Amino acid sequence: MAHHPIRRGLDLPIAGEAAGPAVQLDLPSTVGIDPRELRGFIPRLAAREGDEVKAGQPLMFHKFEPRVQVVAPVAGRVKEIRRGARRVITGFVIDTVAEGGVVQHATHALDALPSLSREAVLEQMLAGGVWPLLRTRPLDHLPSPSTVPQWVLVDGMETGPLQPGPDALLAAEDREALQAGIHVLGRLTDGGVVLTHAEGAAHPAFQGLTGAEVHTFSGPHPAGDPAVQVSHIRPPTGTGRVFTIRAWDAVIVGRLFLTGRYDGTRVYAAVGTGVTQPRLVRTVQGAPLPHLTGPVIDGPARWIRGSVLTGTRVGPEGFAGLSSRSVHVLPDTVERELFGWATPQLGKWSFHRSYLKGFGRPSARYDLRPGLYGGHRALVPTGVHDTVIATPDIQPTFLFRSLIAGDLEGSIKLGLLDISEEEAALLSYIDPSKNDFDVILRDSLELYAKEA
Amino acid sequence: MLKALERLVDANRAPFEEGGRLHWAWPLYEGAETFLLTVGTKTSKGVHVRDPMDMKRLMMFVIYAMVPAILMGMWNVGARAFQYEGITDATTLECLLRGAWHMLPIIIVSYTAGGIAELVFCVVRKHEVSEGFLVTAMLYPLTLPPTTPLWMVAAGIVFGVVIGKEVFGGVGMNILNPALTARAFVFFTYPAVISGAYVWDVVGVANPLTRTGEAVDGYTGATALLAVSGADRGAQAVDVLAAQGWDWWALASGAIPGSMGEVSAIAALVGAVALVLAGLAAWQTMVGAVVGLAGVAMIFNAFAGPDSLALLTLPPHYHLVMGGFAFGAVFMATDPVSSATTTLGRWIYGLGIGAMCGLIRVINPAYPEGMMLAILFMNVFAPLIDHYVVQATTRRRVARMATVAS
Repeated sequence: MAHHPIRRGLDLPIAGEAAGPAVQLDLPSTVGIDPRELRGFIPRLAAREGDEVKAGQPLMFHKFEPRVQVVAPVAGRVKEIRRGARRVITGFVIDTVAEGGVVQHATHALDALPSLSREAVLEQMLAGGVWPLLRTRPLDHLPSPSTVPQWVLVDGMETGPLQPGPDALLAAEDREALQAGIHVLGRLTDGGVVLTHAEGAAHPAFQGLTGAEVHTFSGPHPAGDPAVQVSHIRPPTGTGRVFTIRAWDAVIVGRLFLTGRYDGTRVYAAVGTGVTQPRLVRTVQGAPLPHLTGPVIDGPARWIRGSVLTGTRVGPEGFAGLSSRSVHVLPDTVERELFGWATPQLGKWSFHRSYLKGFGRPSARYDLRPGLYGGHRALVPTGVHDTVIATPDIQPTFLFRSLIAGDLEGSIKLGLLDISEEEAALLSYIDPSKNDFDVILRDSLELYAKEA
Repeated sequence: MLKALERLVDANRAPFEEGGRLHWAWPLYEGAETFLLTVGTKTSKGVHVRDPMDMKRLMMFVIYAMVPAILMGMWNVGARAFQYEGITDATTLECLLRGAWHMLPIIIVSYTAGGIAELVFCVVRKHEVSEGFLVTAMLYPLTLPPTTPLWMVAAGIVFGVVIGKEVFGGVGMNILNPALTARAFVFFTYPAVISGAYVWDVVGVANPLTRTGEAVDGYTGATALLAVSGADRGAQAVDVLAAQGWDWWALASGAIPGSMGEVSAIAALVGAVALVLAGLAAWQTMVGAVVGLAGVAMIFNAFAGPDSLALLTLPPHYHLVMGGFAFGAVFMATDPVSSATTTLGRWIYGLGIGAMCGLIRVINPAYPEGMMLAILFMNVFAPLIDHYVVQATTRRRVARMATVAS
């Protein structure tokens, strides 16, 4: 067991944390899947409007990798296929039925899993619809089934702002399914599986697992980010890939092999000061976001699937994510202040020390708003940017200058494929010059993916 | 009040926006609006929340850190004038008023002339007014003697803004520190105005705020460095200074002739503490500069013989509080744009500035002070230093990958 202390980063003290045990919700009348959540997935339809679908039945498949498919979380009838600009599919909506059919796959005993063949594992993961829970490093795309990863990371830690972690998402009885998931994922690679969790007392579901090397992390966000963890454990070499998956998603993989069924139940966190009562809910994957949140504030609100750092703006018509486990409702108003550049600004939280936040309690939480709070300027390297980069040997100002200049080759040398999106998001958050580092990084990675 | 102002701002925005009649003046409007009110724009892509810190606030805090140096300089200009007019009963307030009468016009001209140059470029190049200018236009007058003619002040700042910054594309793109570029322009173009023994004091120059007298007999206003460099061979520097009535504390506190804001090392130290506490300047650069200058001074001390130059015998702790070193190390060398930006690079850059400053002071016969030239010299080398530090980082990462693979 190795420990990796992360010293650089930032835990955003944003208010609106979900508290208490998960509330069991009734089955929503519709569920939906937004395939744009799966980066690198180009959807083709496997079901039409009006079709009856069973739970676990394919709805969409990947244009270039037809074996990669997204399945229905619950049984029902396809209500509509929403399309956005250029006819991109933005939502695959199903009217649910309480007692519908289920697609049944092979079941395996837990101790038989380590001896399954790679092909058998691959086949069942793809057919069972759990493949889209995987990501690759670098690029953070959906992996191709033909890729053999150098190793697989099962990340059992979450440090993102207001994001639910293992305590909220895993129960002690998930241990067996997690063990099954680790065995199955271990068959995909010759390099072994690494399970990570926060330093200190491990969650009961992580106790006594075999087949995985255990690493622990501590420190501020992005300590729990899979990309940062991969950089600290064993970064991919050459053109190699590392697969990453969250521990709570590995449980779904394991359950597919133990029960032969796609598990569509999920715990989600409805967070943010825009939610009247932030809470954890147990419902089905793809539930409409208002179903998760319950009552929200009057007035403009920004609905974000995921965190305020790297989440996607979806609107109240959006659906709970496939792998993202939260919805953040952010009041979408910004207050202006007189001579804000010159006054002490007591009571306002800032990462920077020219705000006298020292007078505030360290445990205080703040109602942060989606303001830019400044004009865009050229990147001024005050040295503050280095303080949120947890990946070793990155000079962020040089990397991003190189990216802004469009020099892909140079920026790879400077760590384009090593830095994580969570880190770029933190950089954007703290930057007094108000650059969009996270957007620049994503665009550059997509350009790289296209050219490579 | 706030709501009324918001309405006023919103009501008048239209003609300045895209397609409006006054769109060419958008940078002016935007500058005025964001001067009054914090920016109300919402995040549209990427991260949903942003830190309230922006460049305006950052630059404003650098100016706050300069306040001790400004006040100390003001007092000193007045106090020295009274002293050499034989007026011994002048109050602190009188000293400040007299200093302000001579200093404020220079500061106002610097802001006005530089501001016009800045705004013209913003309108022509269509970028937002950059608040870095607020710091530049305050730093520059502090490096001038109080007797500098106002038209020269204006010529210098315009040169600094245009050639030092705007031709490279504005704040963040420049290679040299714009305030020092402005000073270097005055220094090389009008050397008689900015060096010598008689430019540092406003003795006998009348003003309407306070009393004014006639210069006493034998008045000389040589700076401490000039006094030592002009001393006979074989003299001990400390004795030369003591003969002028300056012990170390007098030099450090700043009751000496010199550029308006640069005289007090203690005021600069207060500014340094404020900047480092607020996280706005790299302490590595400052410490590097101190170590560099002290190290070079110690080497010279070791080589000082019975009839060597008096400057060779100047102890390191005297070097640190004399001339523009302290002010330059705190406010000029740490300019994030023109300095090295890697942590290791900042050490090297700081050490280089300190060492170069010592070399110019002691070895160079033409200039008794070397801080301005040392900083400009290292500004030019900063990208090279960074280049090698970044290369080393890259090599380290590649090596780490290789060990992981095996």
